[in-house]
Amino acid sequence: MWGGAGVDPDDRLDRSEAAQVLRRAAGMARGQRRAAAAAVGFVAMATATALLGPLFVRHGIDSGIRVGDRSALMLAVVGYGGVAAVGFVGSRRQYIYVNRAGEGFLRELRLRLFAHIQRQSLGFFDRNKTGVLVSRMTADIESMSELVQWGLLQFVSAGILISVALVVLMVLSWQLTLVALAVLPIVVLASIRFQRSSNDAYLEVRERVGQNLSTIQEHLAGVRVIQASARTDEQRRRFKVSNRGLFDAHLRTVRVSTWYFGVVELAGVLATALAVLAGGYLVDRQSVSVGTVVAVVLLLASLFEPVQQLSQLYNTLQSATASLRKMFDILDTEPEVDEHHGSVDLGRSGEVVVDSVNFAYPGTESAALSDASLRIASGERIALVGPTGAGKSTLAKLIARLYDPDAGSIAIGGTDLRDARLASLRRRVVVVPQEGFLFNGTIADNLRLARPEASDEELAAALDRIGVRRHFSDLPDGLDTEVRERGSRLSAGERQLVSLARAALVDPTVLVLDEATSNLDPGTEAEVEMALERLMEGRTVVVVAHRLSTVRRADRVVVCDGGRLVEVGTHAELVAIPGGRYAALSAAWEASRPVAHPFSTGG
Amino acid sequence: MAEPTGSIRSLRDTDWSHLLTLLRDRRTGLSIGVALGLAWTLGKIAVPLLTQAAIDRSIEGDSSVFAWAGAIAAAGVVTGSFTAARRHIAFRESRMVETLLRERIHDHVLGLHPGYHDRAQTGQLMSRMSADLNQIQMFVVMIPLTLSHVALIFGVGITLVVLDPWLALVALVPLPFVNVTAKRFSNAIHPAVLAVQSEQAQLSAVVEESIAGVRVVKGFGAERVRMEALSTEADDIQRVSLRAARVRARFLPLMELLPSLGLVGVLGVGGLRVLDGAMTVGELVAFNFFVTLLVWPLRSIGMTVAFGQRAAAALERVHEVLSVNPAIVDPHDPVALANAGPLGRVTLRDVRFGYDEGSTVLAGVDLEIAPGESLALVGSTGSGKSTIARLLLRFYDPDAGSVMLDGIELRQLRVDDVRRAVGIVFEETLLFNDTVAANIAFASPRIDPVADRNAVAQAAALAGAGDFIESLPDGYDTVLGERGYSLSGGQRQRIAIARAVLADPRVLILDDATSAVDPSKEHEIRSAMSTVMEGRTTIVIAHRPGTIAMADRVALLDEGRIADLGTHEELLARNERYRQVLAAGVSATVGGDH
Ligand SMILES: Nc1ncnc2c1ncn2[C@@H]1O[C@H](COP(=O)(O)OP(=O)(O)OP(=O)(O)O)[C@@H](O)[C@H]1O
Ligand SMILES: Nc1ncnc2c1ncn2[C@@H]1O[C@H](COP(=O)(O)OP(=O)(O)OP(=O)(O)O)[C@@H](O)[C@H]1O
Ligand SMILES: [Mg+2]
Ligand SMILES: [Mg+2]
Repeated sequence: MWGGAGVDPDDRLDRSEAAQVLRRAAGMARGQRRAAAAAVGFVAMATATALLGPLFVRHGIDSGIRVGDRSALMLAVVGYGGVAAVGFVGSRRQYIYVNRAGEGFLRELRLRLFAHIQRQSLGFFDRNKTGVLVSRMTADIESMSELVQWGLLQFVSAGILISVALVVLMVLSWQLTLVALAVLPIVVLASIRFQRSSNDAYLEVRERVGQNLSTIQEHLAGVRVIQASARTDEQRRRFKVSNRGLFDAHLRTVRVSTWYFGVVELAGVLATALAVLAGGYLVDRQSVSVGTVVAVVLLLASLFEPVQQLSQLYNTLQSATASLRKMFDILDTEPEVDEHHGSVDLGRSGEVVVDSVNFAYPGTESAALSDASLRIASGERIALVGPTGAGKSTLAKLIARLYDPDAGSIAIGGTDLRDARLASLRRRVVVVPQEGFLFNGTIADNLRLARPEASDEELAAALDRIGVRRHFSDLPDGLDTEVRERGSRLSAGERQLVSLARAALVDPTVLVLDEATSNLDPGTEAEVEMALERLMEGRTVVVVAHRLSTVRRADRVVVCDGGRLVEVGTHAELVAIPGGRYAALSAAWEASRPVAHPFSTGG
Repeated sequence: MAEPTGSIRSLRDTDWSHLLTLLRDRRTGLSIGVALGLAWTLGKIAVPLLTQAAIDRSIEGDSSVFAWAGAIAAAGVVTGSFTAARRHIAFRESRMVETLLRERIHDHVLGLHPGYHDRAQTGQLMSRMSADLNQIQMFVVMIPLTLSHVALIFGVGITLVVLDPWLALVALVPLPFVNVTAKRFSNAIHPAVLAVQSEQAQLSAVVEESIAGVRVVKGFGAERVRMEALSTEADDIQRVSLRAARVRARFLPLMELLPSLGLVGVLGVGGLRVLDGAMTVGELVAFNFFVTLLVWPLRSIGMTVAFGQRAAAALERVHEVLSVNPAIVDPHDPVALANAGPLGRVTLRDVRFGYDEGSTVLAGVDLEIAPGESLALVGSTGSGKSTIARLLLRFYDPDAGSVMLDGIELRQLRVDDVRRAVGIVFEETLLFNDTVAANIAFASPRIDPVADRNAVAQAAALAGAGDFIESLPDGYDTVLGERGYSLSGGQRQRIAIARAVLADPRVLILDDATSAVDPSKEHEIRSAMSTVMEGRTTIVIAHRPGTIAMADRVALLDEGRIADLGTHEELLARNERYRQVLAAGVSATVGGDH
């Protein structure tokens, strides 16, 4: 994270790639076609009128002033005024239509991208950092909004301005134009060099901005740990390094662009000088009129402004195409876990069959699960135990089809999960993870996560079902208490209760609790577990647990170690295996129980 | 979630003071930029004057046109090089302003008390340090340009008046309206732009949460709910941005039209005057040229006003953050912690505390832990165990009563001294995007993660993390992913334990630190921990009897007070509430089954 930010070669697009990306974007914007056409029309109208002005000036001077014809002069004046008025109208409409077309496109892009990101399976989120994905959806799209709002407008109007100005110039006097445009090669060469060098510089800035933001984000998210570790000054120092890196990258872009703007400005004035020089010569020889020279000089002034704009726009366009390409890369990533045609709804049966499953997390070598087989009867209560990193959570995630196994299969109620409709799968199978993620909003909002339509009564009933309502009714605003960011307003146990209550509200057929009660005090935990037991009567429950009490309540125990399910059986069966893992584990538990325990008859 | 709407206000109410202070700090660079800009202005004004002269001479058939063209070219060199220099200075200064401000906000926020962070939203703070600073930068970069534009307008105005006062009147009459329109525009666009920004921030918050919480979203099949939230925000953005476009459509074309009217007037009135012989064609052309020269500067001044106002509003928001005083600060004359003798006495005397006004979490906690003693803190969910831990770290100050370390009130100690003396493993593990070794050495300033590998490995071994770290692809140099997600829950927790162990604090707090550690390892860790706990004051917040039994004494926290204090066995025997919290009764029934 603190490393240098080289320019990612992937960011640099060659011409054909860029064209392809833009074509595809245009295809996506098809819905906005009419608004876009109207926008271009109005921009053209506004721009064209700006060019007609100098022509009226020429007419006024040559046919009016120089020959003493007042009516011709007046005609020119009226014409000029009329053109300005038309331009005004066109210009008003252009803002509206450009916005309609552009924002319509961006909205479409946002929705599609987000929908697609949400379809991805967890492996995708393991590979892509949250910060990066968020910036795809925000910074990248916003930078495109810049392009869409101003860029297109400028692009169209600058393009029209340049081409029409060139045509008009040639018609007015090709000799003068050619002489004046002798500076053009300078501009072209400068522009090419500028684009090359600035592109890299801008890409580096973007990279650094991203890094800097993720440093800030990390520091804000970890502020308590940083303070508790008395590390504030050290983190400040590190931020300074990253922040100054960004500053230097900015300076590089300034350095490459500085001379360019000077050169273009110089070229503009040189063109005027050349036009004046040639004009003086040609007027002398009666081959052009003074009015023409004036018109040429005026038009030249309006030629160089748009050239500069286009060059700058080119950068915006470049970075927008790079952003677009990254978005398309996401859109082209097919979710690893997806439903195919003809997938079916899961039935009511909660029988889970895990059949010779192998699984390694994407991008890792070592298997997190190997050759795991397990049959869980409908309505059975299974406890998964085992050392840390054994693969318990992995198995839990596979049962909910958050990942697909690399080999083997998992079926619920006889249906292979890969053949099940995802919507029905999510309704039937619920995993409650250890750290129940809370969203900004009230406790009630968070409970409604899976069932937004649930009424207040249903919420209260769900809380009652697992017997935890009093924990929330004691809070000042009850269920309407704002949990704040990530639920920081609540204690760790209270957060787990919210996430358990979510599950109770959905009422699934298969419930997987991955250490979902680990932060609760045993008293509350026991209450919740017994309530869940009643609630899940006849349904399947898989609990990953580290506490003896939880394990004892299970019908069968599965011991997981090194990615394998090494022992399966009832508590009594497993403790009876001489030298067995569970027997050892159980002994460790018993040993750790206090000896003089007046209420414990076990051990 | 919503952006503070209080910052939408008119030009006159805008608080410019922060902006002015900021600019004063950068006055040297900015002045150079402005001086360069003025030189550029002179070149700019020279061009039409020279053109005029050239045209008039050439009509008269004078052969001096060559010299005039040369003069124009020279003026071009001047404007060209000064444009470059001005741009350079302007960008450098504005980026510097942005960079320094970002550092100031970051450094300030990082030092603010946790109570502030409880309420602040990461997204909002991030936009203070990105979007808001951008606005300030965009304004500052325009200052030299704008001032030279002002000079240009005056220069051109004076030149026009000198050339021909009457025609100048015709040409200049529409121009003040440009300025008025620009101001009205900036007032109208300001709230619209703020609304767009605020909607964008809201969308970004929805996206951020949905992605960070994707495991929960998937686990509950809540994609649809999140999608709805997102499409609401996307629609809002579209709506408010159309509103902004309407404002632009109302004002910007008018600002373009007004100077054109001046040009039309110049052509008409000027033409008549040339016909009357009151002026030359060259002068007329120059007039035209000058009026075109004014179009951009006038428009850009309008924009600058708008930008300036946005920048002032942004700076105000920034200052809102900067003016929050840290509630937890070093005392004026800090007392030094004793370094000899028995260390690590913790005393809480009648401590009362609540997070919010009117709510009480701790209602008079009295507790004394002797140096080297270990104490288990037991209580039901939400009883305030973590709160006590936070008070010991001086994350908060108690509302009443006192928290003392080795007999000295925490408030009298330097904050960093407190935090070095008190180490904690939080109940939620947060790992940084750095190597395993750096994460373990995070709280130990004197330990270098690379050079002192042995010390790091030793701490890891004590935390029961040595084995699995060795088996990671790059061992101790493995970079942990964002929030350390690619480790299992128990593995992450152990790294956090190793972090606290390595820091070697005199008081160690383990807040539910072994909840995700499996029982088979737990006793291993526990035996290792007893090495760590040896002679060190330790507070364990735990629920497992085995862990609790490790402690010399147990304190039961209930109803905001220490309800009972004694050994585990004593409490089990005499305290009904204690049995309830530990589900000791329940465990007895289950245990009786076999
Ligand atoms: N997202 C991931 N990407 C890559 N590797 C992972 C990921 N999650 C877990 N692992 C690795 O897979 C293995 C199994 O992890 P899993 O989370 O299933 O363990 P667990 O049995 O639940 O352990 P714990 O009791 O600590 O929660 C571990 O070695 C872990 O480091
Ligand atoms: N940042 C906060 N702002 C406001 N209230 C809070 C905050 N943190 C905790 N609380 C409230 O204070 C009370 C005590 O919380 P605390 O985190 O100390 O409980 P705990 O004993 O650690 O519980 P657990 O065992 O669940 O972690 C709870 O009711 C909680 O809702
Ligand atoms: Mg796990
Ligand atoms: Mg707690």
